[in-house]
Amino acid sequence: MTEARQFKFSSSLSRKLQVPGGRTVGEADRLAREGLEVHRESVMRTIDVTLAELEDLSTARPADAGTQVYALASKVIDLVAYFDTGPLHEAAYSLCELSDRMLAGRHWQWPPVVVHIQALRLILSDGCRRGRTSEILLEGLRSLSARR
Amino acid sequence: MRRASPTDKVNLAQSTVLLVDHNQQSLDVLSSIFHGFGVKEQIKCSATEEAARIVQARNIDLILIDCSMPGMDGCDFISWLRRENPLPARFTPVIMLTGHAAESKVSKSRNCGSSFIVTKPLTPTVLLQRILWLGADARELVESDTYVGPDRRVRNFGPPVGTAGRRAGDLSAHLGAATDANMDQSDIDMMMKPMRISL
Repeated sequence: MTEARQFKFSSSLSRKLQVPGGRTVGEADRLAREGLEVHRESVMRTIDVTLAELEDLSTARPADAGTQVYALASKVIDLVAYFDTGPLHEAAYSLCELSDRMLAGRHWQWPPVVVHIQALRLILSDGCRRGRTSEILLEGLRSLSARR
Repeated sequence: MRRASPTDKVNLAQSTVLLVDHNQQSLDVLSSIFHGFGVKEQIKCSATEEAARIVQARNIDLILIDCSMPGMDGCDFISWLRRENPLPARFTPVIMLTGHAAESKVSKSRNCGSSFIVTKPLTPTVLLQRILWLGADARELVESDTYVGPDRRVRNFGPPVGTAGRRAGDLSAHLGAATDANMDQSDIDMMMKPMRISL
């Protein structure tokens, strides 16, 4: 094996960021958040559709459902990534963890998956609010994931 | 590096940013965020193959890529960028965005050579701070048989005590016993107080 070569390299990003001008960090952050809000409604609609797809999967239970469940749960995580949806993100993440582990262990079980999907629906219907109900739900999901 | 304060200036107006995500909606959201940051030239791609063609044809200042791209995933794309391209494209800063880190992808992500891995959920504030950090990134780049990319040691405290380290320049943090006699006070004073002498 050859020895590692280490060297300095200045990127064009570094050079361009040093050019005077631009906007303040506070202003850039505010404008980015405003731009983000424009998408909130359509993103929440897509999440609703994605949950419906998960519910259909859990009813039909096709042979390759595991990978589809993981992909749809990942899609929820990706979509809510920039919005504060607290418990919804945590529940979707828990479903990803659970399905990833069951796929790796080649031991797929539907009951904990169905509980996750129902919890996701409940959280979404409740406007993704954090509270005692969502805490109890998430606690239940965590114990389900830990048991697998 | 210190965290940028809200009154610090950021100038991304002249930077060209490549955004790569297979989900069109996520791509649009990300694009709105960068628009707010003041980026005027954004290139949006929904496939890594298309992104690969773009980095070979144009100068890109920053790339944001989703880890779980279908086909050639985010890690494969970065490995390809770091190994198969000439400068300066080879060392373009890349932020990889990841939602759920599947167990099978953790070491692959660590070894692909990304400049930063940012986990979702994230806020525009976090993203902007990461970009500013990259702009001031003083890490060296490393090229070896098994890894090409920024030094993964963000802080260098030397190798663990009792180990020789894996790099030629590694010095053990363990000082060991003195090999020479202690300096006397006059020698130390001479070093600390430079004096004018006539030659």
